[in-house]
Amino acid sequence: MATVQVSEAEKVYILHGIRDDLRVDGRGCEDYRHMEIETDVVSNTDGSAKVTLGHTAVLVGIKADIGKPRPGVPNEGYLEFFVDCSANATPEFEGRGGEELGTELSNTLYKVFNNKHSVDLKSLCISAGEHCWVLYVDVLLLQCDGNLYDAISVAIKAALFNTKIPKVHISADEEGGKEIELSDDPYDCMRLDVENVPCIVTLCKVGHRHVVDVTLQEKACSVASLIISVTHTGTVTCTRKVGGGSLDPESIFEMTEAGKRVGKALHAPLMKLLQQEESLGKTRQKVGFLG
Amino acid sequence: MLKSKTFMKKTRSGGVMKIVREHYLRDDIWCGSEICTECKQESPVLQRDPSIESNLCSYPHYVIPDTNVVLHQIDVLEDPVIRNVIILQTVLQEVRHRSAPVYKRLKDIIHEQEKHFYTFTNEHHRETFIEREPGESANDRNDRAIRVAAKWYGQHLEKAESEADALKVVLLTNDLGNKQKAEESSLLVYRCEEYIKSLIGNPELVDRLALSNDDKHDITSSKVLFPEHLPLSRIQAGIKSGTFLQGTFRASRDNYLEATVFVQGEGEDSTEVLIQGLQNLNRAVYQDVVAVQLYPRNQWLAPSSVMLQDEGAAKDDNEEDKEEEDEEKSVTEAARKPTGKVVGIIKRNWRPFCGMLNLSQIKESTRHLFTPADRRIPRIRIETRQAATLAGQRIMVAIDGWPKHSRYPNGHFVRSLGNAGDKETEQMVLLLEHDVPHQAFSQAVLSSLPKMPWAITPEDMVRREDLRHLSVCSVDPPGCTDIDDALHCRELDNGNVEVGVHIADVSHFIRPCNAMDKEAANRGTTVYLCGKRIDMVPELLSSNLCSLRSNVERLAFSCIWEMNHKAEIIKTRFTKTVINSKASLTYAEAQMRIDDTTKNDDITKSLRGLNKLAKVLKRQRIEKGALTLSSLEVRFHIDSETHDPIDLQTKELMETNSMVEEFMLLANISVAQKIYDEFPDCAMLRKHPAPPPSNYDILLKAAKSKDVEIHTDSAKALADSLDMARVDGFPYFNTLLRILATRCMMQAVYFCSGMDTDFHHYGLASAIYTHFTSPIRRYADIIVHRLLAVAIEADSTYPDLMDKQKQSALSTNLNYRHKMSQYAQRASVAFHTQLFFKSRGILNEEGFVLFVRKNAIIVLIPKFGLEGTVFFDAKHKATPKLVFDEEISGVSVPAPVVEPQAKKPKLDR
Repeated sequence: MATVQVSEAEKVYILHGIRDDLRVDGRGCEDYRHMEIETDVVSNTDGSAKVTLGHTAVLVGIKADIGKPRPGVPNEGYLEFFVDCSANATPEFEGRGGEELGTELSNTLYKVFNNKHSVDLKSLCISAGEHCWVLYVDVLLLQCDGNLYDAISVAIKAALFNTKIPKVHISADEEGGKEIELSDDPYDCMRLDVENVPCIVTLCKVGHRHVVDVTLQEKACSVASLIISVTHTGTVTCTRKVGGGSLDPESIFEMTEAGKRVGKALHAPLMKLLQQEESLGKTRQKVGFLG
Repeated sequence: MLKSKTFMKKTRSGGVMKIVREHYLRDDIWCGSEICTECKQESPVLQRDPSIESNLCSYPHYVIPDTNVVLHQIDVLEDPVIRNVIILQTVLQEVRHRSAPVYKRLKDIIHEQEKHFYTFTNEHHRETFIEREPGESANDRNDRAIRVAAKWYGQHLEKAESEADALKVVLLTNDLGNKQKAEESSLLVYRCEEYIKSLIGNPELVDRLALSNDDKHDITSSKVLFPEHLPLSRIQAGIKSGTFLQGTFRASRDNYLEATVFVQGEGEDSTEVLIQGLQNLNRAVYQDVVAVQLYPRNQWLAPSSVMLQDEGAAKDDNEEDKEEEDEEKSVTEAARKPTGKVVGIIKRNWRPFCGMLNLSQIKESTRHLFTPADRRIPRIRIETRQAATLAGQRIMVAIDGWPKHSRYPNGHFVRSLGNAGDKETEQMVLLLEHDVPHQAFSQAVLSSLPKMPWAITPEDMVRREDLRHLSVCSVDPPGCTDIDDALHCRELDNGNVEVGVHIADVSHFIRPCNAMDKEAANRGTTVYLCGKRIDMVPELLSSNLCSLRSNVERLAFSCIWEMNHKAEIIKTRFTKTVINSKASLTYAEAQMRIDDTTKNDDITKSLRGLNKLAKVLKRQRIEKGALTLSSLEVRFHIDSETHDPIDLQTKELMETNSMVEEFMLLANISVAQKIYDEFPDCAMLRKHPAPPPSNYDILLKAAKSKDVEIHTDSAKALADSLDMARVDGFPYFNTLLRILATRCMMQAVYFCSGMDTDFHHYGLASAIYTHFTSPIRRYADIIVHRLLAVAIEADSTYPDLMDKQKQSALSTNLNYRHKMSQYAQRASVAFHTQLFFKSRGILNEEGFVLFVRKNAIIVLIPKFGLEGTVFFDAKHKATPKLVFDEEISGVSVPAPVVEPQAKKPKLDR
């Protein structure tokens, strides 16, 4: 994990600030940094989004491919995750340095997103037991400045919103032989319902309080954090504790409540923004990576 | 400016791929018109004054055809009258996608400067590029792109031209929707037919118009004659699941209601499916790739033994039905073949066909039937206004389509080849019909020829053995100018004999992979027609530098044996040599020298030695089981001035023929062994597979009619029993049997040794065989020469020579060319035979019945080498009562009177 060195004096300064609900960059404990979202940034994916949160930047691309449904659930498609920690983000990721973090991140993403409550997996089924859509979600970390989980989850939700899966229909002949036929109109495609897709809120215990959207400096002052995935209704679908320190039950409860509150507040503007962008259609000026 | 084009594609493994291509738009694409001052073009293609006069468009104009117009009316576009046409990139791409042959023709037109065809890359032009909109099909988008480009041109030319008489563009489309939309956006738009008909002073263009869909309706009755073809997706699914079979459609020559579909199975196992009846044939045309569905076994039929020629008149779509008489279904179980019906066409293989026009009986009708020269092609209905001129001419016609309610396919006139019966015309028909490449050699090919005057260089002499002192001579048919083999024979001091076969060293002149080599590989063989030779290599080589003429020094590739007097080979060696032939003899001259006891010069002695050995070789070969078969070959005496045949004789065989043949066989076998030993994977060999027993049926039945028994277990048994098969008082019987036996045989084919395991040559009873002795006229021999040269380290190799896939592909082409050249040769002889009879009137000659069909007999007249069909139920005559016996069909009986009458109808066709 990307870390920075923080001196004792700095730590005290940060701790005291948080105690008074005033963080180094002027935010309150439950405030996010400035967030930018752009969808449809990689043309050869079926859906993509780029999210920057402070100096953290992640890019998510989704490719849809036809696969075979998992034997246990013949009428559902599924998602596959891969997180690539680019050495651009931090030199620590060079070589195989980012592998461990990548695996950790993708394992969490499986838990959060790959279930029928988050994504309508049934709509990904083409023919039960034989063909289904598999969404390959590739996450690329471009820059690390703390709070990767939240940024990634927002980017995934935006990318899923943006995903256009080509429509197919199954033609069957008399003998029951099935053939998948692809519509030749590139505009003829299926969209995913992302309403129930959760966002992740990471809460860090710093001193006696907890904060959301930590910077790397704040992270260095924290011993434990709680990852909570929250839907737009405030339902918690998954929690996970990371970090070496311990959390007492009371603060876990408090943090969960705060996470629900923050998460609920995060969804509404996100969806509004995505729909707004979508409505611009082709007239939208693309910003891309250099903007 | 950069745009991206996105489309989805299904991959072969069943996945879906999104493909994104970058698409650059530019503003430096010029309009190509001479009048334009705005565009900075160097040499504009479109003329300032497009001189084409039309009733519809009285102003000067350029023409923009849409894709379907190009696809269907390419014959019209090829006409020199049509000039100043703008071909949009959209159209070009669509044409390329939909039809490779039309695309090639279009490209040829564009390259022709006289035609002033301009390709406008509208897809990359900033102002004419459009993106596909949601809900718009690919076709609609392309139509819109065409309209946008036409509109742009209109406005662009208007801007450029200040004069009053502004140039306009005219869009041609046959699509009603497209036309309407174009009119809405105030474009000048016409249907292709409208426009062509409006052109002043070019009535013949109208004939070249292909019939469009709406026209087809009023031609034919609404009665549906054929079942619908299945869509391609169903066919593919059916083939995958095994309900349908995919194969090549082969119509029968003898019966227009019958065909077979050749289904290529895995490896050797391929089957033939019999198709009978118009309904089941379902509009398939010879050589189409079709999907067939097999009938259940109890509905299988046997091939019919009726000869049927489609004589139906133009108008009657209904009268035909009675021709489809009920076949006797009581066929024996063994004779039944897998039978099926055509359910769909996978790929049409239509080409322009040569043939004649049958005038419609109705006067002033513009619809006529066209009878192709190839009997396997159905008759084609065409529309023409110049029927009176075209009658009696050989014309080419292309098929446009075959609607399901039409008895005949619809087509259009392409071009006239000349008057029927003219030698040039007929020769052209022969060459076109047999796909013989006959154009003059291109400049690129000619530039690979050696420079004249050519002489043997000292370097050549160093690398070659000098055999100029030997008394080498060549023996060939009279009038032969491409002499590719010469022989010598001399006594050695140890009592043995040295025999040499010297073959023209063509591979010295034709180097691998140059233009000449590629052209020769494509032509494959020289084609000999009566009075004309279509060379495989340019004449300088074939008749001069490579031809082993007498008294000149020539390069040769020699095969030299040391033999004892029992013709047993003691030593074989191959070497590149320089020879100087002492005499070019004809077979007859050589024979005279051998027989003339007073002559005792070196050449004569050499010939006698060769002749003696040849007899021994032949005896040995026949003992091993080589077959002596017979086919009639006719030679014409051609009048030197009119080039008409004045007399004909069947080819006589002399001892010297067989003498040359024996040594050629021996050389071929020796070389085959050598190259196979050296290159077991890529030797070019020739095999002759043993025929399957069922092939012998006609022979066995014919022999049985005279109570003669023929054994076909092995080549040896066949040869022996053919020798024994003699009937007293009927000396020609044996020859007849041999002619029939020839027809039972399989085709001998070239193949690459790495791709096959069976090398046996059945006819020659040799374990291995190749062609080495005629490199001037066969390309296979050139390859064999190269292989042998590498084997004896006289030449270097090259990659394609050692590539067995490429070799195999090459042999497929050679086999095809070889087969077609033989057909062309036969057809040429047949034509000359007919010319010969044209002036003879009715003759009485002896003929023999070769086969008996249910309603006809096939008769052979040996004197003229002529074979023809005599129908029993001649028109205007009562049909004699006949009982057809399936068992002895093919009986041979000397026919007392057979008038050559039967040939006359053939002449008139």
